[in-house]
This record gives sequence, structure tokens and C-alpha cells, in this order.
Amino acid sequence: MTGMRGLSVFISDIRNCQNKEAERLRVDKELGNIRTCFKNEKVLTPYKKKKYVWKMLYIHMLGYDVDFGHMEAVSLISAPKYPEKQVGYIVTSCLLNENNDFLKLAINTVRNDIIGRNETFQCLALTLVGNIGGRDFSESLAPDVQKLLISSSCRPLVRKKAALCLLRLFRKNPDAVNVDGWADRMAQLLDERDIGVLTSSTSLLVALVSNNHEAYSSCLPKCVKILERLSRNQDVPQEYTYYGIPSPWLQVKAMRALQYFPTIEDPSTRKALFEVLQRILMGTDVVKNVNKNNASHAVLFEALSLVMHLDAEKEMMSQCVALLGKFISVREPNIRYLGLENMTRMLMITDVQDIIKKHQSQIITSLKDPDISIRRRALDLLYGMCDVSNAKDIVEELLQYLSTAEFSMREELSLKAAILAEKFAPDLSWYVDVILQLIDKAGDFVSDDIWFRVVQFVTNNEDLQPYAASKAREYLDKIAIHETMVKVSAYILGEYGHLLARQPGCSASELFNILHEKLPTVSTPTIPILLSTYAKLLMHTQPPDPELQKKIWAVFKKYESCIDVEIQQRAVEYFELSKKGAAFMDVLAEMPKFPERQSSLIKKAEDVEDTADQSAIKLRAQQQPSNALVLAEPQPVNGAPSPLKVPIVSGSTQDPDSVARSLSQPNGTIGNIDPQIPSPDLLSDLLGPLAIEAAPEAVSTDQHGPIGAEGVPEEVDGSAIVPVEEQTNSTELIGNIAERFHALCLKDSGVLYEDSHVQIGIKAEWRGHHGRLVLFMGNKNTSPLTSVQALILPPAHLKLDLSPVPDTIPPRAQVQSPLEVMNIRPSRDVAVLDFSYKFGTNMVNAKLRIPATLNKFLQPLQLTSEEFFPQWRALSGPPLKLQEVVRGVRPLALPEMANLFNSFHVTVCPGLDPNPNNLVASTTFYSESTGAMLCLARIETDPADRTQLRMTVGSGDPSLTFELKEFIKEQLITIPMGSRAIVPAAGSGPAQPVAQPPSPATLADDPGALLAGLL
Amino acid sequence: MIKAVMMMNTQGKPRLAKFYDYMPVEKQQELIRGVFSVLCSRPENVSNFLEIDSLFGPDSRLVYKHYATLYFVLVFDGSENELAMLDLIQVLVETLDKCFSNVCELDIVFNYSKMHAVLDEIVFGGQVLETSSAEVMKAVKEISKLEAASNSISLVPKSVSGWRGR
Repeated sequence: MTGMRGLSVFISDIRNCQNKEAERLRVDKELGNIRTCFKNEKVLTPYKKKKYVWKMLYIHMLGYDVDFGHMEAVSLISAPKYPEKQVGYIVTSCLLNENNDFLKLAINTVRNDIIGRNETFQCLALTLVGNIGGRDFSESLAPDVQKLLISSSCRPLVRKKAALCLLRLFRKNPDAVNVDGWADRMAQLLDERDIGVLTSSTSLLVALVSNNHEAYSSCLPKCVKILERLSRNQDVPQEYTYYGIPSPWLQVKAMRALQYFPTIEDPSTRKALFEVLQRILMGTDVVKNVNKNNASHAVLFEALSLVMHLDAEKEMMSQCVALLGKFISVREPNIRYLGLENMTRMLMITDVQDIIKKHQSQIITSLKDPDISIRRRALDLLYGMCDVSNAKDIVEELLQYLSTAEFSMREELSLKAAILAEKFAPDLSWYVDVILQLIDKAGDFVSDDIWFRVVQFVTNNEDLQPYAASKAREYLDKIAIHETMVKVSAYILGEYGHLLARQPGCSASELFNILHEKLPTVSTPTIPILLSTYAKLLMHTQPPDPELQKKIWAVFKKYESCIDVEIQQRAVEYFELSKKGAAFMDVLAEMPKFPERQSSLIKKAEDVEDTADQSAIKLRAQQQPSNALVLAEPQPVNGAPSPLKVPIVSGSTQDPDSVARSLSQPNGTIGNIDPQIPSPDLLSDLLGPLAIEAAPEAVSTDQHGPIGAEGVPEEVDGSAIVPVEEQTNSTELIGNIAERFHALCLKDSGVLYEDSHVQIGIKAEWRGHHGRLVLFMGNKNTSPLTSVQALILPPAHLKLDLSPVPDTIPPRAQVQSPLEVMNIRPSRDVAVLDFSYKFGTNMVNAKLRIPATLNKFLQPLQLTSEEFFPQWRALSGPPLKLQEVVRGVRPLALPEMANLFNSFHVTVCPGLDPNPNNLVASTTFYSESTGAMLCLARIETDPADRTQLRMTVGSGDPSLTFELKEFIKEQLITIPMGSRAIVPAAGSGPAQPVAQPPSPATLADDPGALLAGLL
Repeated sequence: MIKAVMMMNTQGKPRLAKFYDYMPVEKQQELIRGVFSVLCSRPENVSNFLEIDSLFGPDSRLVYKHYATLYFVLVFDGSENELAMLDLIQVLVETLDKCFSNVCELDIVFNYSKMHAVLDEIVFGGQVLETSSAEVMKAVKEISKLEAASNSISLVPKSVSGWRGR
């Protein structure tokens, strides 16, 4: 440490560098110098080596890579003299990772130093092992380290290091400490007089009991003894008294160890401990000296935790709450902070909430503290303590604070306010008020979820509708309102504006005027909502107002040629529909009620909360008889609820074919839209201008249009076998059909179906847009299978040709049946094999999806950046390039996601995207209509939230782009073994392919069905 | 467990950084920068605690103390007591004060190797090793003596006490 002039000169050079660039040059020069010297061993004296190694460590701290010098640092460990050895040990423990191979080379030297007689060497070696020792060290050194720790001849300096070194070895390999032998030794160690050794030993104990408290139960009374010794008897040498407090660290550690034992059964130990705790709770005052305060309160807060853990008598608990109440109002910010934090933890204990509520005004004051750390704690506490009785006060405080809160907190704040308002609203109109205020004050931080939710409530509660409409109208009078406010008020006024008709300023034409003023200020996604609202306003004017009609038609006309497809389509359709009179009224009738479901907000919040908070909230939620707003059990209307839909463009999740089909139905009245464009489905568009989550339109889809992954009614897997006549008890399904199908989607051979009588295997070869599959049907029985039938139900985009299957499969025989596949155009629909046979008297029938999926017509293709980017840029936007934010993705690490992509032949091109959180991928798609077509994709992930990503897919064909995007989305969202429906594209066309799932949704209730009848 | 000890000046220049979980050098720099950017925006007379989950992952805590031109920072997990960690910073600073009699930033800059020696006597493998600055001073002085001895007369240091183990 002394006399290293070279190091000082270097440091001072670095200090004199004017900028980072100069520093880098100086560092590079030094690194070059060090490299040269390391190569030339002859001139390298031990002193020089030591100096260079220190310089390396300094350079490393500045942020430069010094990997080349690791070997030199490690080699110093075996130097004979102390100074070099010391440097070797210190620098190695700072630079190397426990798995570094050089460490293996040093393991013998380290061991020799530990078992040698030189205490200073022992200390150095223990420090290295304690800092970076891995499993290798643990296996070879644990017994030696234990010996040092319990040796009576070693100095405390060595033993305390041995204790912590053993802790490290135990962490790396729990077998390093043999429980049976060690428990007694551990208890003995706790009788140690030296406070340094005792502190380290207690740390070791904490690690051991956190793993297995039963084995160390003999240590429990010893911990209480330590506390008595320190706290009651003050039996501590002067140098371990810190600002008058007997070693606060040891007290804290001993109390921490006690918190790992579930209870204290021995009455005398319990009594002794409670005496100590009582003394700590009562005897701690806030004093002037900050350091003394910190020390005494470190002990006090640990005592509070222990009291909470031990579930003490009620009296002591209320004493604790009283103390916390005092803390949250003291001047000392650290104590305020911890007071709030511990109060939040205290919420988990029953019976104290009412006492905590008494401090509500003080907690609200803390929400205005200058320290953001304290404000966050106050927010957490308010959130946790909120219930029906105080929700109004708390939420209003949060709203007020929102206007002044810093940006970093606003999002959390508005989410929490929205959740509390929803969970504990005393009445619904208040809830509407809160959300509208939220949007007004912090529109940028109000996620779509929040305003979707308010729309759901208003739609589902008739009493609320006039109120919501008048509130929405009021906000429109403000000069500048947030775009989200435009969206929500336009939606509400479109639906319920007519309820206000008698009030001044609320006639349809007045509503139109004030809404239309906002139109020039809003962005593209809001315009379709406004258009829907205009159409609804027009529909509600009875008798018709020709003036208004003229204005609105003018707007529709204007957007008829809008570049945005969604806007254009709506303008065209609404214009045409509004000429139709009665049919128009039916189409634009009020939105049906939403199926009740758990709030996505609350779900989101539960996912986000950290564990302590979460358990507190859950506990509270269980205790709180909350209002009807929280809809505990989602009631699936038709199978499980579908995942969140993207609003506005909800229709675009439909199959493009449905456009053609639905367009052809209304007698070509709206035939001017090119049916080839994958534009949104007309039906769902009209029915659900705002598909919030799974709006009821999801129900309608399965009757009317081919089904995308989302609208699919889910079936129980077993029901894939539909017994034709009666339940065939003797046939047992083996394996899961859906799982088998999903596996075959990613590989080319395997079992498609198996039951107790028959096994169907499949083998496939794919070339371009052709595929050749062979079905292997094997009879597992000793008697023949008769009436064997295999029919292919092809979707529109595939041409399938199955060779005839013999009527009978002899016992133990296998028949092969080739199946030719040709892909005509891109689609995610799947062909179905309708397979049936007779065994004995039982007829068995299974509908099996054939794994001729979209990805089978993809061929892996890896592009370089020179190839990729020009193509990517050439695809300018929709409909050739589509982008979508996908939520609810099952979380995958990036490499896993890359593997997934590769597995369905969309090849990830590593390194092309400069952002490491993104993936770009390419593939070639083959079909008869498109030929070989290049497809590109880019996935942007958010490392902070793996459940959502943004996906952009492009190709030269709009329907291919759309289908591929949907395909990838399905792969990302579903866990590919789940229970997706067996039934594909149940179109309403003549080729009704497979058995419709018995749909629980009755036609009469279904607005989609009604509409179809009308058209 | 203590995850990291950092000292940096009020311009964000690291003066000492030790991580008790292995981190590659770039990650260390990122964390140092991240911590500094939060610290430098803190006003005076606020608490010594910071939420740091975004940098060090969930269940991590940070305490710091600001002395003249230096920040002393400890990052640790939920198994440690926050105020006890704050006290430990005080022990470190008081020890340095004794070492250099009225420590200032320059002492810390130019006694880089000694800083490591002092820190290693207080925090060991992410655990509190010694809390008495008198004891720390004793250990550090012993080390200095050994160095000086071997520098001048290159004597292999003799064992301090007889080994009677095994």
C-alpha cells in the first residue's frame, strides 16, 4: 500500500484528463504498457507486477475491460511475500467470476494458505473464498474452514472471517455444512464472548435457519440470551458500543434469526424475549443526534418486525401501531419512511386496520413530502389501507395529488386510483366521476384499459347512462381536453346522448357540433369512434333532421377516400347504411351488455404488485365485502373469454374471407369494397365499433364468419371425439388430441390420434406449396375394425386428395393412405379428417385437425442486413405491412422466442436489429396464388414487461401479411397444448364442413344472428 | 446480503466500487451511472433510502450518505436492516477518518489500495464482518506493518500465534 508511486502518478494523470476521450487514451496507453510488461517476464519484478495489477483494478473500476490480466492477478496469489500475495488475493476477488478457470489453478495455494500456520495468509485466503468461492471451493475447503471457525487457538480476526466464509460456501453448496454435526457447534458458537466473532456467527446462523430452522432449534434460546446480554445487561466492550447502543448490528441479526423460527414454544424463553422487546419498544426515543437515532431505530424496527412475526398479545400490537403512528409524524425522514413501510406490512395483521385508519390524515400529508421515497411509501400504504369506508377520501386525495405529482409517479398513481375507485366505489356515479377526472387530469397516463372499463360499466348499468352522458357532455365544454376524453365522451354520447335530448345544449345537432369541433385535433385512431358516434346521433334523431343529416353525410363523404382503411370503410358503410332507414336503426341499436368479467385492471395490478403488497391486498380483498363492481368470477358466455382485443380494428382479427362472404349477403349493396383486402369484417365492425375485451360480438362470430384464433369457442379436449350414436364406453382416448396436433404443427411425423383400438400416425413431406402426407392407420386389436371411413373436410384454401381407405382394417394390421395437399392461398384455416370406425357394435368417430398449417408452407430463409432492410423499407405500410401491439403474450426469454420462431420456419436473423431486445426474422411462403413470397417480421419486446410486444409483419400480399401476423400471434399467445377448438372455419357457406360445436349461445339472444336474419 | 458498496463523488466519478455478486464490467458501469443519476437529483434533508428495483431487481434496497463531495452507497437485499446498513456506512466513514485523520476525497483517490483493505475488513462476501472501527483500525495497521516490514527487510512474516489445530 505504501510506496506505489506508479499507481499514484497514473491516478493523477487520469484526474487531469479533461474529458472521457483523453481518459480513454491515457488508459489505452497504460494497458498497452502493462501488456508488454506482462509478456516480458524477465524484467517483471514482483513489485512491478503488484503495481500493474493494482492499476488494472483501478482501470477496471473506470469501466475498461482488463480480462487479459486475470492470469497475472491469480499468479500473484502464490507469491511468497506478503505484499504481492495480498494484491493477488484482493484483485482476484474483485475481478474474477466464481466459474473462472484460473481459480481452479489457484485452489491448492488457497488451501495451503488456509491450513498453513500464517494467520495473515489465512485471512487473505478466507477473504478470497468468502467473496468469490464457488462450488469447487466449497467441496474442497469446507472442513478446513469449519476447523478454523471452532478452533480455540485462532484469533478472533481469523475466526470471524471463517464464519462468513463458511456462510458463502454453504450458499454455494448446502452440503458444505453437515446439519447433524454442526447444530451443536453452532449453538456453542453463540456463547462466544468476542462480539466480532459473534456477529459473524449470527449471520451464519441466519443463513442456516432460513434453510432449516428445525435442526437449529437449540440456537433459539441462545439468540434470546444474546439479546438479553446486549440490551438488558449492556455487557459489551466499549469499542462495540455504537453511539451508546450496544452493537445494533448484532441485536438486529439476532432478532432476524429469531424471525425464521415459526414460534417460540418454551414459555420462559418467550417471556424473556418479550421482556427484551418491551424494553426496546418503550425505551427508544427520537433524539437530536442523527447517528444515534439511526442506530436505536435500527434495533427498534427490527423489534417491531419480530413482534409482528411472533403474533404478540393485542396490547403489544397496539403499542406497536401507536409507535408507528408516532414515527410517521416525526421530523427525521428516515424514521418517517420506515414508519410508513412498516405500517404497510402491519396491514397484513388483522385487528389493527382501524387503528391505522386513525392516522389517515397524517399519511395523506406524507403524500406531499419533499422526498419521493416517502411519497411512494405513503402511496403504497394508502393503497393498502383503502376500503369501502375510506375509499372516497383516499381516492379524492390521490386525484388531487395527481395534478402536482412528478411524471415518474403519475402512471402508478392513476392506475392505483382507478383500481381503488373500481374496487371500493360506494356508488357507480362516483366511479364515473373519478375516472373522468383521471382522464381529465392525467390523460396521458390513463391506459386504454381504464376507459374501456368505464364504458363497460356504463353499458351494463342503465341507471348510470343518463348521468354518464351528462358528465361527458360537461367535459366537452372545456377548452382543451385530452384525446382519451374525446374518445370516451364520443362513445358515451353516441350510445346515450339521446337520453339528454331535453336538456339545453344536448340536442343531437348540438352534440354533433361540439364533438365535431374536436375532430381536427384528434389522431387517426379516434376518428373512427367519432364517425360511429355521428352515425348513432343521426340514427337517434327522430323525426330526421335534414340539416344534421346533410352535415353528417358531408363528413362521411369527406372520409370516403381517406387513406386509412378503417376510417374509409366506416365512412362508406355508415353513409350507405344511413340511407336504409329501418335497417339502419337495427344495425345501430344500442350496444348489448358486456359479459361480466374480472377487471383487467385489477388483474394487472395483482400481477405487478410485489409479494408483500400483494398478500396484503389479497388479504384485504378477502375481508372486504366490496361493492358489486368487482366481478369475481368471469362468466364465459361461450367458452372461455377471449383475450383482450384491440379496439377499433377489432374486425381485423377476422378472416378476410368473411368480408367477402358478409359483403355478398346484403345483395351487393356495399359491393364497392374490394373483397380481397383483408379489411375488417363488416358484421363485427357494425356490431362492435368498440370491442372492449370480448364484447358480445365474439359470440356472434362463430355463427357467421370463419373464426380467428380468438373468437373460437373453446371445447374440452375430450369432446373432439364425437360419438355418433351413443357414448362408447369401451373406447378410451390415449393422449391429448390437441397436444398431438400442436406437436405435429412443428414436426413432420408423429402420432395424430390414438385410442384403445386404433392409432393414426402421420408422416409428411413439404415442397413449396405442395405437400405429401401419409396416414398410417393401425388396428391394435386382435379383431378387425370395420366400417372404417376417412373423409377430408378441406378448407377453401387447400386442395386435398386422400387415397381411398379400405373399409376394414384386419387385426394387428396397418393401412397406409397417401394424402396430397396443395396450398392455394394463405390462410390459417385447417383441414379436418373425419375418421370413423366400428368396433364390435360401437361406432367411434373422431374429427381430427390435419397439421397442414400455414407454417408448413414456409421455408426457412436467413437474410443479411443488406438483403433485409431494402425489402423492409419497400413495404411501406398497411395492408402490406401490418403492426400490432400484442398483449398477454406468454413470457419468453429472447433466445426461447427465437427458437420458437425458428421452429415454425420463420428464421430469426441475429444481429440485424441494433436493439438487443428486438428480433427480426424472414421466411418464404409458398402458395399457388402468391408463388414464392418473401415475408419479413420484426418483434420488439419490452424487457420490463415480457407479456407484451410489438409485432410488425410484412410481405408482398395483404392477405398473407395478415394471416402470418395472426399466425405468429397465436403462437406467442397460446401455450401450444391448450384446448383450442378442434373445429376450424365453420363457414356459413354451402360446404358446411364439420360438426358445429353445440353452441350455448342461443340465436334469439344473439344480436349477430338477428342482424344476419335482417340482411 | 450486501450486493454492492460504491463510493462516488458528486460528479459521478467512481472512487471505489465493489460488487459482491459477479457483474461484468459494463454492467457495473451501468449500475454506477444509474445510481448516480438518481442520487444527484435528491435534495438535502430527505431520507437516505431509495427505491432501486429498476436497477438491481426486485427486493433490493439502497441507502446512501452524502459527505462533502462524496456519496457512500450500499445496495443490499431484504435480509438486511436498512438503518443498520446506514450505520455501517457511518462506521466505514469514521474508520477512514481515523485512517487519514480528517479524510477527504483526495485521500480516497490516492489511497486506492488502502481503501480496499479497509473495506475488506468491514464487509466480507456481502456480510457485515466488523462493526467496531477500533478493531478495523487494528487489522489495517497490522497489514501496513507487514507490508512495510517486507518492503524494507524482506522478511517472511512470522506466524502470529502457534498453530495447534487438528
